[in-house]
Order: sequence, then C-alpha cells, then structure tokens
Amino acid sequence: MLTYTIRRLILAIPTLLFISFIIFLIVKLSPSDPTAGLPLTIPPEVREQIRESLGVNDPVLVQYFKWLKLMVWDEPLHLIENATGWQVAPEGPRIISYQTRSPVMELIIQRLPQTLWVVGTSYIVGILIALPLGIISAYRQYSVFDQVGTFISMVGFSVPTFFTGVLFIVIFAVNLGWFPSVYDTTHEVTDWDSFVVQLKQIIMPVMVLGLYNASQISRYLRASMLDNLNQDYVRTARAKGLNERVVVLVHVLKNSMIPVVTVIALNVPAVFGGAIITEQVFKVNGIGQLLIIAIQSGDVPVVQTVSFIFAVLIVLFSLIADLLYGVLDPRIRYD
Amino acid sequence: MFDAKTAKKLVEVRDLKMHFPIRSGLLRRVTGAVKAVDGVSFDIFEGETLGLVGESGCGKSTCGRAVLRLYEPTSGSIKLDGEEIATAPFDKLRRLRPKMQMVFQDPQASLNPRMTVAGIIGEPLMEHTKLSEKERLDRIYQLMDAVGLNRDFANRYPHEFSGGQRQRIGIARALALNPKFIVCDEPIAALDVSIQAQVVNLLEELQDEFGLTYLFISHDLSMVRHIADRVAVMYLGKVVELGARDVLYDAPLHPYTEALLSAVPEPDPVSHDEANRIILQGDVPSPANPPQGCNFCTRCPKVMAICRQIDPEFREVKPGRFVACHLYNETRPETAGNAAQPTEA
Amino acid sequence: MKKRYSLLLGAAALALAPAAAMAERGSSGHLNIIYWQAPSTLNPYLSGGTKEVESASLILESMARFDQDGNMVPWLASEIPTIENGGVSEDLTSITWTIGDGITWSDGTPLTPADFIFTWQYCTHPEGGCAQASSYDGVTNVEAVGDNQVRVTFGAPTPFPYTAFVGSESPVIQAAQFADCLGARAPECTDANFGPIGTGPFVVDEFRPNDVIEMSANPNFRFPDRPYFATVTFKGGGDATAAARSVCETGEFDYAWNLQIDPTILAQMEAQGRCNVVTAFGTSVERLHLNQTNPDPALGDIRSTAEAGPHPFLTDPIVGQAMSMAIDRALITEIGYGAGGQPTCNVLPAPELYASTANDACLVQDIPGAIALLDGAGIVDTDGDGIREYNGIPLRVLYQTSTNAVRQDTQALIKQWWAEIGIDAELRNIDASVFFGGDPASPDTFQKFYADIEMYTNNFAGVDPQAYMANWACDEWPGPDTQWQGSNIQRFCMEEYDALIEELAGTADLQERGRIAREMNDMLVQSYSIIPLVHRGGVSAHAVTLEGILMSDWDSELWNIMDWRRAQ
Repeated sequence: MLTYTIRRLILAIPTLLFISFIIFLIVKLSPSDPTAGLPLTIPPEVREQIRESLGVNDPVLVQYFKWLKLMVWDEPLHLIENATGWQVAPEGPRIISYQTRSPVMELIIQRLPQTLWVVGTSYIVGILIALPLGIISAYRQYSVFDQVGTFISMVGFSVPTFFTGVLFIVIFAVNLGWFPSVYDTTHEVTDWDSFVVQLKQIIMPVMVLGLYNASQISRYLRASMLDNLNQDYVRTARAKGLNERVVVLVHVLKNSMIPVVTVIALNVPAVFGGAIITEQVFKVNGIGQLLIIAIQSGDVPVVQTVSFIFAVLIVLFSLIADLLYGVLDPRIRYD
Repeated sequence: MFDAKTAKKLVEVRDLKMHFPIRSGLLRRVTGAVKAVDGVSFDIFEGETLGLVGESGCGKSTCGRAVLRLYEPTSGSIKLDGEEIATAPFDKLRRLRPKMQMVFQDPQASLNPRMTVAGIIGEPLMEHTKLSEKERLDRIYQLMDAVGLNRDFANRYPHEFSGGQRQRIGIARALALNPKFIVCDEPIAALDVSIQAQVVNLLEELQDEFGLTYLFISHDLSMVRHIADRVAVMYLGKVVELGARDVLYDAPLHPYTEALLSAVPEPDPVSHDEANRIILQGDVPSPANPPQGCNFCTRCPKVMAICRQIDPEFREVKPGRFVACHLYNETRPETAGNAAQPTEA
Repeated sequence: MKKRYSLLLGAAALALAPAAAMAERGSSGHLNIIYWQAPSTLNPYLSGGTKEVESASLILESMARFDQDGNMVPWLASEIPTIENGGVSEDLTSITWTIGDGITWSDGTPLTPADFIFTWQYCTHPEGGCAQASSYDGVTNVEAVGDNQVRVTFGAPTPFPYTAFVGSESPVIQAAQFADCLGARAPECTDANFGPIGTGPFVVDEFRPNDVIEMSANPNFRFPDRPYFATVTFKGGGDATAAARSVCETGEFDYAWNLQIDPTILAQMEAQGRCNVVTAFGTSVERLHLNQTNPDPALGDIRSTAEAGPHPFLTDPIVGQAMSMAIDRALITEIGYGAGGQPTCNVLPAPELYASTANDACLVQDIPGAIALLDGAGIVDTDGDGIREYNGIPLRVLYQTSTNAVRQDTQALIKQWWAEIGIDAELRNIDASVFFGGDPASPDTFQKFYADIEMYTNNFAGVDPQAYMANWACDEWPGPDTQWQGSNIQRFCMEEYDALIEELAGTADLQERGRIAREMNDMLVQSYSIIPLVHRGGVSAHAVTLEGILMSDWDSELWNIMDWRRAQ
C-alpha cells in the first residue's frame, strides 16, 4: 500500500503541473482586467500604471513560471514558518492578490475557518441525515417512509441553494426573526451564550447545504443498501439467527458503505471549496466567496491559486478514496 | 441405510405457500402474485436426506428458504421437532435458528466479504452461546478441521479461497451451532465438477458424524440419486411426486418425473441414444399466472380433458409414494379425500 | 459578545444620563454598516473602488471634504484657501493649506506637512500603480511652509486647485507608517494597507479583506465629544436586495449602501417603517452615445475609427434630436430608478452652477413632434417597410449596453418608442466585466463601440467639471493607436468645443467657469451625439433610529460619520 501511495503521489505531479498550466491559460486568456471594476472616473493612463505595477503585462509564460515557483516553493515555506515559527520562509515576493495587494495565502487562511465551520458542519449534518434516511428507505423499500424520503431527496437535490437560501431567510430571518440573515464572521465562541449565537447564525446555511448533501448521499446509500440486501450473505446472517438490527447495521451497512464512503471522500474537496452561492446568500465570507469575487474582479492570482489548491485536494482525495476502498474492502489490495 | 418406517419425523411441512407480490403502477399497488411455492407438503425424517429436484425456477430454492423462514411464508405450517416455525415470533425463531441451518448455492455471495473466516464461523457462536474467546476459537478450529480447512486460514477473507474451500467455510459456518437440520441449496452447482464430489462426500461424512438431516436441493438428478434417501420432484411451485429414491428413479409415476428422468445422461452412450427420451414441448408457464387445472397440463404428453379443469390432489398412491396426477386418480379413486395429507404408513 | 456588551453599556449610559449622552464620545454604542460589495483594502491609493474609498474615509482624512450640496468644508485644514485669503497664488500655480491646530494621528503623533509631502510622493511613484494618481495631475511639487503649512505647486495655472488632498479620494497617509512602502514595495506593506493609521474618527481593530472591518472610536480624535458611536462593524458581501433587507426588514444593520434594486421593492421595504431611504445626487448621468463614426462590420478593424469615416446618419443632429424627443425620460426613471433618479437633459447636471436649463424641453416626450421633424427633413419611409431611410440608408441601429435588468428594461422601452417614429433598433447587452473591462483584444468594450448606439452611466469625482468636460476633445478619440484608451466615446469633434476647453482651463472666476461649462454642455447635447436620460443618485437606507446622516454624492457618503448618532 505504501509503494502504491508513493507511486500515485509521484504520478500526481505531472497531472497537477498540467492542470495548473491549463487553469493559468484559461484564466489568463479570458477577457479580464483587474482595473475593470474601478469607477470610470479613473483615467486610462492610471489604469495602465496599475496594470503595469501588478505585472499583468508580462509575457504569459513568465507570469506562469513566476507563479509556479512561488506556489510550489515560497508559499509552502511561508506556511511552515507560520505553523512552526521556524525562520525558513525566503525573503522576497509572494503571490499577491490584485485586489487586496496582500498575500493570497493569508486570504485563504483567513477564510478557511468560516468555510470549514459552515460547509464542513453542513457536510457532517448531511451525512448524519443521510445515513438513517438511506438505511430505512432501502430496508423499507416502497414504504411511505421511502416515498417521502425519495420526494424530499429529489426536492433537496433539484431545488437550487440560492432559492432555498433566500426562502429560509425570508421565512426564518425576516418573518419569524429567529435567526440572523447576515453571518458574523468575526464572532468567536467563548462560552455557552456565544455558542448559542453561533448556532443561530450557522443553522440556516448548514441546513440549506445539509439538505443538499443529505439528498445526494442518502440516494447513494439507498441504492447500495438495496444491492446488498438481496445478497446471499445477508440470508446467511439471518440463518445464523442474528438480530435483525445486527443483520442490517453490521452486515448490510458495512458492505453498503464501501461505495458511499468513496463518494463522501471524493466530495471533501468541495467542502474546502465552499459553497459559492450559499456563502454569498448568507454572507459567510469563506473560500467560495473569495473565489467568486476574485473572478468578478479579474484577480488572476487568487483565482489561479484557489483553483490550484482545489486541484491538489481533488487529486489527494481521489487517492484517499482509493486507499479507503482498499481498507474497507478486503477484496482490494494495492501492492 | 435409512429406514423410513421406523424413523421419527423431524420436519413437517404442510400446505406451504410462498407468494411474492407484484407491484405496478404509479402507486406501486399489489396487482398480482408470483406463486413461487404454492401449497407444498412433505415430511423429512430424522437422519435422512430428502432430495428436492426440479427445473430452474420451479420454486425449489424458495421452498428451501421458506422452510427455514428466511422468507415470510404466505401461509402453511412448518414444524421442526414439533415446534412451529412458520408463525413463530421473532425471538422464538431466533432461538430455533441454531437447530436449522443452510448451505447456499454460491459460496462467494453467501459469505460476507468483509469478515474473516474466523469471524464468519464465530459469529453465530457469539450470538447464541456464552463461550469465552478461547473456547470460541477452539470451536472454530475444530469446525475447520471437520470440514478439512487449514487452521492457518482462519484470519483470511473469503475472496482468498477457491470455490470448494469457500463452500467448506459455508458448511463449517452452518455446523457451528450443532444444527439438526440443514437445507443444502444447490451446494455444488457453482463448483467445478472435480470439486463437486469432494463436497458431496464431505456432506455425507458430516451427516454420519453428526447425525444430520438434509433437505438437498438440486437440479442435478444424478447427484440427488447419489445422496438422497427419498426424492421430491417440484414443478411450477408444487411437489408433483415424492417417493423413496430407488423406486422413484426406477418407476416414475408422474409424467413430469418420467420426462425429467429420461433426460438424465446414461453412462452408456448406446443405451443413452436408444433410450426413449421424452422431449417436453413448450415453456414452463409463468408462476404469476399458472394454467387452470393441473400445472403441467400445458406440456404433459399424457394430458387428458380433466387435467385442464381440475388441479389433481397430491396424495399417497402407494405406501410411501405420493403423486399429484389424474392418471392415478382413475386407478385409485377411492383414496380421494385425504390426498393433501401424506399419512403415516 | 464584546460589542454587544458595549452596546448595552451605551444604552445604559443613554438611559442614565440622557442630557449628557449627546455630548459624549461613544455614547451611541455600536453601529452596523453593510456594503454589499466588500472592501478589499483600506488603502484607497491601491484600489480606486468606491467601497475602498468610502470605508477608508472613516479612518483617513483630507484637507477638505464636500458636503451634501457640493460645498467644500475645511476638514484637516483650518480654512479653504482662496485667492482672496491669499491661500491660492494670483497666478493660479500654487495653493497653500494650513493644517488645523492640534491634529494628531490616532497613535498620538502630530500631523505634519511631511505627511502630505510623503503622500504625494507615495501616489506619484512611477512603480506604485496609484489608483488616485489623477488627483495629483499637474502637481510639480509639494513642500512644507513653516511647520503647519503645505504648499502644492502646479506646473501650469490651475483655476481649480482643490484636487490634491481634497475629498475622500486623496487623503493623507502617515509617512512613518508607509515609509518603506513606496513604489513596487507597496504590496509588501499588508499590515499598513489593512490597518492604516489615520486622523479620522475611527481606528481599525480588525480588517478582513473582502469581508468585514471592525473599528472603534479614535481616542486621539481632535473633537473630544465625537464620534458618538463607540464601535463600528463594516460588513461587506451579498447583494443589494439582501443589504436592503438587513436594514429595512430584519434590522440587523443600521446603514446599507448603494441599493440599486427595483424601486417598488425598496418602497415596500421602507413602508414597513424600520428604515429611511436616502438619496444624494452627484454628477452621474445615464446617457446614450451616438457613434459619430461608421461602425459597419464590413469595415473590419477600422470600424468606429476616424479612418472609417462619419456615420451614415447619426452625424445629422436632426436624427438624434428626433430620437431624443421620442423618449419618455420620466417613465424610464419611474420604472428603473425610483428615488434614485431624475430625468435630465444635460450631460453636466450638477453642481447647480454648471447645470444648464437650455435643453429642458426634452423632459416631455413628443413623438408627434419627432415624426414631424423627420418628415420635415425629408427623412421618410420610401420603401414601405415602416423604417425611414436617410439618403437611401434605412435607420437601423445596433443599440448596446451592459447586462443589467434596469438597462434591459430601458432598452426595450426606447426600442418601442423609436419604432413608433420609424427607427429600428437591434438590442444587445454585454456582460459588464467585458463591456467596461477595457481589454483591447475584446470587440465588446464600450471604448471600441462596435455599435451605433450605446448606453451607460458616467460621472466625475469632486465638484469641478473641467477635466470631465475635456473628455470630449477631438484628440480624446479611442482608437487602435492608443490601445483604445480615450474618453471621447462617441467620437465627437468640434473646433469650437476644443476652444472652450482651453478657455475653461484659463479661467479662475467661478461664475465665468459656470457659463463656459454650461455652454460646453449645451454644445454637446445639441450636437445630439449624446442623449442624456437620467440623472442618477446614490440610494442608501438607514435605520430610523440613526440620526445625523447628510448623504453626499460629492464625497464619501460616510463623510460626516463623526456626527452620526443613535436617536433616543
């Protein structure tokens, strides 16, 4: 397994280089201008000077290699320095956002907690909802519970979050006044009261996203459970005189979770990516909102870096999913 | 050899029905039923092997599963050692489980792929006994020895074994709780021919050793002839003929049994070619929509007008021989009336 | 929790000592402001966006600011320099500002002329990419005079010298803090850019780019009783509707900026009684530009340039006049802008001194008049297809603008009115980031103008129109030789107009400047190369409990935040 992992990681390097170059070209060749968002009162000569100072006018390949060198060498060293306090970070330039003129990594680090809090919680909530939903739906296939569960899943899956999000705000924030409509990113949980405040502000975005995640995962689990419920080994388990709960939760669920865990692992990068629309609706200024604003304002370094980190995460989590498969399913061995 | 007349009845099945609902339409209402097992009655005597034969899809596997109540039977009664299984509440059923076990057709599919051999064999011990870990492991090794598996393999997963070895695991697992009655559902159908004999011999040895009673389900008539003491023939959800092996094989009564046996290859090619083979015309009707009258009337070479009207009763036409056919109602009309109840002879 | 605590404290203070409350710094507690576009830096010199300039205006200040009527108010300066008081030299080449007494930075150090000199150097450094460089146009030197005066010298006589260090776009930054941040090193000073030390009423506690700013009252602020608010949360993100909702419906925020949403929705929200909608009109005008050059796609790369030749019919003012007469500006305003707009016939609608009244006839729609005008000029439909021909060329126009619901509504209305007078318009809308993106490689920018007519809003910063009116000089045409940079979008050119630009640049007398500017406005409008539609204002909403707001479109709309307070 170790050699397999190492081989996969080495193979990932050319993949990621290729991805980074493609992202770079796409971002670079699309018509975007970091000064486009400025008021028209700012004259063209000044705009040109701004572009010049941002290095937008350098040749594309020069920009790419500058970025790549910073991304794979300087920035990781800065991360290490931040985390450990060792003086390893090199002097000199970093990847600078056009909008804020500050290091892109700092922006990402600043926004990660919000995204992990909201999107991560919603993912966990989604899984927690999906497990019983999928299990019972499959076990009682075509029952009323299953039909209702299927209906809710379809709704959760097909109604876009910008609709459910605004609907939640109108109902729970405007009409009922239970929850705030604007997420306070500076809020810190220090005691019970502040925890309640955090709970109130997080509940709507978490439910909106959680519903979506739950729909997806519960469908996978239901299908996988149905596959397994008709297998002979389930009959064997029943013939052993096992409790029905043990039959379903140990024998069937354990086997059904193999593909589902893979799906869950593969979707983890999306948690880091945030949920662009939901973050925008609830003003949870996380990674998703960072990305969308960067796209809107032609902030190439941010778009480039965030996309590249996603690419790394996706490659990494596909590997993790594959390894998990090997751990969960004794029939699969990587040698 | 087994003597039916003196042995005690271990399993009594009466008018067992297993209908699967057919759902259709928007609301998935029940619009019909697949009559997989439709009124089956037989007894199995302690220590004997009852062979259950029939074509694919005739309901013999369903029958075997229903007997162990791996399905919820639609109606009928199943008694094991005098205790009712068909309607037993769940807890009681669970206590009865150790007495009756099953060996499945596909050893690969019937073993949980995420459990080791020791886990698979040991699980029923954990569930039903209070053995210590050490005792349990001893018992597992003992069982592995009994079925001829190397003890070193205890911590391996099922996929690491060959088909024959897997079936041995399945058998060891079935034996774990000292059952009296084992349903062998086509236990050799998925195995290579060279392995089949080994497994069948193992089953026979174990029967002698532990005094087991088998319901041996198979479509392989030669194998049944080898292992079974008595044989029941199923067609389209019903048992059409039941009798002691040699009598049944030598002189089948039911036209379907006759046709089935004529298809068995003879070791001697000349006699095989010259044998008066009965080729059945047409297909087996759908169990969701069986024909009126005798189930076999659509294909029977000896069909009569009455066969299309009235379903023949299953009854004892000679001592120990049961058949469901109008041919024998003409010769023995006086026995009509107690047909569905095989009486003690 | 902390801020809520202080809010309670503030409320308690109000309850206990209502008479004294108004006089105390921090007595109004906590203020929540929402800008649906979040500031990405607090250094306005590194980003010229409104959101950055206005958020920074709470911290950084300049010599003078503009009030709600466009009047200059001395801010850091003790008075506004003029020729009369000797602050502006007779030859109009220098202006000398006097720093008010006892003004310190929030870190307690005194504000000195050196800070102003540094600020000028900072923004004019050739590698800095300063977004406000035009504020220092023409400035040749900034020097200290004594220890409390700053003299700004211009290379040429400058009749309106109130550009450098005036308004929220060119505030003074602290020399000590930014000393190592000149030129290319500007981006390395993240801490300074995100937390500038200022002279203003608030100091930055925490800045999260594109998200939120936490601020508290400046303990060293020059007015001991102000600001009335102790702390401010300046949240960014979301959209205009959500921002309006958070002030007018949920009450989570006290002030929401730039609510360009459907006027009927905003009116409904206001009717719930939690908020007041406020507007301020500056110089923004939604207008149509009529391409004076030929944009025929058959001409390929030379279309819409001088080389392409004049437009086949839009150079005739009769056509433009008829188009203008056919438009019901009041209806467009009502549907799309509500309180945030007024019909206008001038490209230079304000300040009042510069606003012409010569063109006000256009305020009333006159379709029969437009038809009569075209008929009279012999521009008639000769082939019976319902579209008039001009010398045999049908009056078909391609009418483009940026993608925006209000603009598409306006396009549809105007198309219908023009159809009634026999002019056919083909509508097109382009994503704003492309349209305003200025990418020389894109054919869809407003500068390239590969269309007959285009619509957008423009304005100018500050109160003096000199630079703005110079946009329409003959040599300001965008074209391939200048990478399509250039401000004379409709390719207008008149010698008389260029002469007036010269004249304005040499006139110091305010009344005379007003006359010249009005004349230029009339000349432009009556050429019908430009058709003004709506004078647009800023629309904001504040909680009814908030007092002291004097919204100005001439400066940051938060310009007087030190006077804002919570009503009792």
